[in-house]
Amino acid sequence: MKIDIRHIAKLSKLSIPEDQIERFEEEMQAIIQMVENLPEIEGKATAVDTENTMELRADEVIPSASREDMLMNAPQTAAGCIVMPKVVE
Amino acid sequence: MDKLYSLSAKSMKELLDKKEVSSVEITKSVIERIEKTDKDVCAYNSYNFENALKNAEAVDTKRANGEALGALAGIPLAVKDNIHVKGLKTTCSSRMLENFVAPFNATVTDKLNASDAIIVGKTTMDEFAMGSSGESSKLAVAKNPWDTSRIPGGSSSGSAVTVAASQVPFAMGTDTGGSIRMPAAYTGIVGLKPTYGTVSRYGIIPLASSFDQAGPMARNVDDLAMLFNAVCGRDKMDAVTKNYTFDGYGDSVKGMKIGVPKEYYGEGVQPAVKERVYAAIETLKAQGAEIMEISLPSTEYALAAYYIIQCAEAASNLGRYDGLRYGFRGSNTSNVEDLYLTTRSEGFGDEVKRRIMLGTCVLSSGYSDAFYKRAKLLQQNIAKEFTDAFKSCDVIITPSIALTAWKFGEKAGNPAEVYAADICTITLNIAGLPGMSVPCGFDSTNNMPVGFQIIGKKFRESDILTVAKCYENAVGGFAVKEF
Repeated sequence: MKIDIRHIAKLSKLSIPEDQIERFEEEMQAIIQMVENLPEIEGKATAVDTENTMELRADEVIPSASREDMLMNAPQTAAGCIVMPKVVE
Repeated sequence: MDKLYSLSAKSMKELLDKKEVSSVEITKSVIERIEKTDKDVCAYNSYNFENALKNAEAVDTKRANGEALGALAGIPLAVKDNIHVKGLKTTCSSRMLENFVAPFNATVTDKLNASDAIIVGKTTMDEFAMGSSGESSKLAVAKNPWDTSRIPGGSSSGSAVTVAASQVPFAMGTDTGGSIRMPAAYTGIVGLKPTYGTVSRYGIIPLASSFDQAGPMARNVDDLAMLFNAVCGRDKMDAVTKNYTFDGYGDSVKGMKIGVPKEYYGEGVQPAVKERVYAAIETLKAQGAEIMEISLPSTEYALAAYYIIQCAEAASNLGRYDGLRYGFRGSNTSNVEDLYLTTRSEGFGDEVKRRIMLGTCVLSSGYSDAFYKRAKLLQQNIAKEFTDAFKSCDVIITPSIALTAWKFGEKAGNPAEVYAADICTITLNIAGLPGMSVPCGFDSTNNMPVGFQIIGKKFRESDILTVAKCYENAVGGFAVKEF
């Protein structure tokens, strides 16, 4: 399978500089070669471990993080909100 | 008393219980040791010395007042830098989270605090736990104490190194495809990846959520068990955790059946590694274990299935790093799209970018049937083969890694070859099984440590630790690097 790095990078929201495209393409090609020869298998995949199913907690209101704690890592804030670039002109 | 730092956690506990030393004395000794040696081994991204001393003092006061104490009371340890400790940075060794301060504790951290353990710092790792050498860290790059020109293994590189260099008796790591067991093997210590669902993932930065599992790393089996016992069990914040209690362990393998799968001893495994692992199996046989050859034929496809599923989940998990709410934000951007691109391209290192792109590729339109769905089917087959194998044996023994620690940079530019080194450990994450790396001597070609892996049935960590303890006694303990 041939890798189109520009397309995959676009889907991944990454920009790869032109001078690195070739190197990434070669490395990705080697990885794809390693993973692409999977055998045909019959059956239906389930994501669930039927013997060890998940156990949900009760839907209870409990104290969680404060606004200050949640905003302390935001790159830019104003008036208790996160500031981001304009999305609508 | 000098060299308090070099004691096992068990010995520290005995001395503390007898009030022969205080936690402050032990913690000071550990801090001095880290200050003296960490410039050479670079195990930490950040230290927590001030809080550690305060906490040690508080534990000493509790002890003096006769208050009830937790199982790890006053014993120093380190946690990997993808586990939240409130108020400390959680960087994942990435530029993306370089200044991220944890707003809450991981459940693992809460449990360590409840045990009265003393957290002395956050250990470095491969960026976002992606890597098996430790080299992809964008912050501290940990070095192997046995030879600092060689990799310590990853992704829990710093946790392995701080234990192997006798800075702390034990540390917490996380394992998505071998990230506890591989660095444990490369640095000559013990490391356990527990059964999926034994230790809570809450507050741990996810790589591949269906594989991720935190676990203990130590210089001996008793210390490892002590730490494991403190962090395991049901957590309502992680729906996959079970009501698990650790049953303890014995030290006799008499009558135990040990399976040896031929697929794990193939051409890719270096002869020096094979020799040591076979010798370990002989030792266990001499202790009364029954050795039997078994077969796990789907192993040859495991690597492909693993990287497809892992990268698919990683690409999805890392979608959250968009520069808006937290973490690094690219500058000089004109619109939101540009902000995403700049943030992610400048914030992530190459290894992270490769895996995001691989994950995006295998999930993209036209490829998800050929890759992702087929990998999920293979995952079921691999798990079933293990279930069948465990009908005739109690544990399975393989090498932990096919090779020993290589020199920094030796495999740069060849990510596929580095991925292939994970072959012995990834199958357990695929099948959700527990596994432990145990040191078994040294590679005769470069004198670096070799490890073997003990695989158990789900939630049967007790079996694994029994085998490990029997082996440890039989060989008279594990070598510790004078550093």
